[in-house]
Amino acid sequence: MCIDIIKGCEKREIMSFLSLVVKNPFRNKTRSALAIVGIAIGIMVIVALGMVTGGLKNSTQSTLKAGAAEITVVQAGSNSFESGGTINESTAADILNLSGVKDTTGILRASNTSTSIATTSSNSSQGGFAGPGGGLSITGIDSSKLSLLGIDSLNGTVFTNSSTNQVIMGKTVAQDLNKTVGDTIDLYGQNFTIVGTFETGSFLTDAGIMMPLANLQNLTSNQNKVSDVLVKVTDNANVTTVSNEIDNAYPNQLTTTTAADQANRINQGLSFIDTASWAISLLAIFIGAVGVINTMIMSVYERTREIGVLKAVGWTDRRILGMILGESIVLTLIAFVVGTIIAVVGVELILTLSPSVGGIITPSFSYDIFLRAFLVAFLVGVFGGLYPAYRASRLSPTEALRYE
Amino acid sequence: MNNTENIIEIKGLKKSYDNGKIKALNGMDLEVKKGEFISIMGPSGSGKSSLLNMIGALDTANEGSIMVAGIDLMKTKKLNKFRSKEIGFVFQMHNLIPNLSVIENVQIPMFETNASSTEMRERALELLKAVDLEDKIDQKPTKLSGGERQRVAIARALVNHPSIILADEPTGSLDSKTGEVILNLLKDLHAKENVTLVMVTHEPYVGNMAERIVNVLDGKCQNIVSSLS
Ligand SMILES: Nc1ncnc2c1ncn2[C@@H]1O[C@H](COP(=O)(O)OP(=O)(O)OP(=O)(O)O)[C@@H](O)[C@H]1O
Ligand SMILES: [Mg+2]
Repeated sequence: MCIDIIKGCEKREIMSFLSLVVKNPFRNKTRSALAIVGIAIGIMVIVALGMVTGGLKNSTQSTLKAGAAEITVVQAGSNSFESGGTINESTAADILNLSGVKDTTGILRASNTSTSIATTSSNSSQGGFAGPGGGLSITGIDSSKLSLLGIDSLNGTVFTNSSTNQVIMGKTVAQDLNKTVGDTIDLYGQNFTIVGTFETGSFLTDAGIMMPLANLQNLTSNQNKVSDVLVKVTDNANVTTVSNEIDNAYPNQLTTTTAADQANRINQGLSFIDTASWAISLLAIFIGAVGVINTMIMSVYERTREIGVLKAVGWTDRRILGMILGESIVLTLIAFVVGTIIAVVGVELILTLSPSVGGIITPSFSYDIFLRAFLVAFLVGVFGGLYPAYRASRLSPTEALRYE
Repeated sequence: MNNTENIIEIKGLKKSYDNGKIKALNGMDLEVKKGEFISIMGPSGSGKSSLLNMIGALDTANEGSIMVAGIDLMKTKKLNKFRSKEIGFVFQMHNLIPNLSVIENVQIPMFETNASSTEMRERALELLKAVDLEDKIDQKPTKLSGGERQRVAIARALVNHPSIILADEPTGSLDSKTGEVILNLLKDLHAKENVTLVMVTHEPYVGNMAERIVNVLDGKCQNIVSSLS
């Protein structure tokens, strides 16, 4: 906007014009504040939703971790989260014989609704990730097969398969129940020692408790039964091919889901949230832009005489355009700062005050969220300021000076 | 340009408003010498401000010719550059920018020049000293009296070393005593800065301070009265 910039004029001179541009929005503080609030809300929505959906996306991506089973096999007609044993334990060994299969294991998913849990945690009743029936999600698994669930490292030790009183606990439940390694927990009316805790990054896995398969089978009267068979394919095998192979080997008995399928389903949900957040953002931006246009038109209108004076002292139309446009951008950039701060502080506050939500979502601070919000603010400033700035630059000096 | 040359030459200048219904200027002729101090007098609505606007290139005429400081204002496209270089305006109302300090207000016209920030500040200080306001340079105009504001406006008008000062009733909103101070200041600075001064006024005693009075009636110069000089 400053033609002198091209000519390489001195910094102080540019600063002076810039400081005028920065000062002017503060002349009518109430009106500017209202415009800023309008845009800041839009920016806040963009940043907050961006941080949350970005965090969820990171979380689903880590469910596709290397090492974990790619295929989950369940009884036909049931869903993978249903608890209770429906598949014969020996099926795991049978599937291992199919080509392209590297490793398998049967797991038993169950839930514990014991009242003693409910009293240990005020949050367990609202935890959206709790197992079916609203209790804790408990999985029985062979200790040597934990990697198929993506559990590669533990804080503490792993349970021994023959034990009847040892569990390991996901990070989210541990936080939620305020438990660490060495603490005990009451499950199915028995005392269990937490020998280890784990964090996989997958919020479903991290919200669960693991114990030896045999022990859970006994406790839930599911001897020799499993609910899922986890299948890991060989390095060169195609997941879909193996998945179809399993489906064909057990028609009407078993169905398969791949980790990629699951991630896709979650990502579809996330992309819906993404779209919705864009729609909300666009609406907020539109309202914000209308606010900016209105604010700047009022400002130009009130300063008609002053603009006439600036023309009389020789200011170019371009400089006047630049000044008003700059003021508009200053407004929206303040809104960017305000909105971003509110969003970051707000999201962090909600996540700390509500650990059950905080356990699922680690907010993303990826810079493109902030870049996106910055661009939106900048563009609202440009588009909101363009028309008022054009009007100001085209004012006839004599009319402007006659203006009362 | 030597001293006997005309800095303003206007011939048959016409300007009408409202589709020709109002003839603000109706065949105006005027010649002003470089360094001259003239006052333009005449009844309300006779076209005094319109004439000043034409000289200052704030508006363009419909007909006739107008040469100011060697530039044909009927032809040039760079009106803002002309205003910035050649003209300093002093209005009846001071028209200062309220959120800028006194010295910043004076510097405003210099944005369009290549002056460095130190040059800008030094020039503004020099003029604020000349109008006796060096102790108020960081004040906001709202804290100043009417006469002080008008002195800031005069400093602002002179800051780019214009060849002509156009003053439209500069004392119109001041009491007569303050008005006199402002007039003397304008007259002094016109001599000191060697600048042509064209002043519109209603009041005869103000007009009489000029070297020459030009009477305007119905958009024309009536008779040229050589007064004091
Ligand atoms: N922009 C405009 N639109 C319409 N009419 C105008 C405009 N500017 C001036 N006029 C008319 O032109 C005529 C001359 O106006 P001008 O302002 O030049 O008078 P003046 O001599 O300065 O009067 P005063 O002493 O009251 O300031 C007036 O009739 C005025 O109403
Ligand atoms: Mg007038």
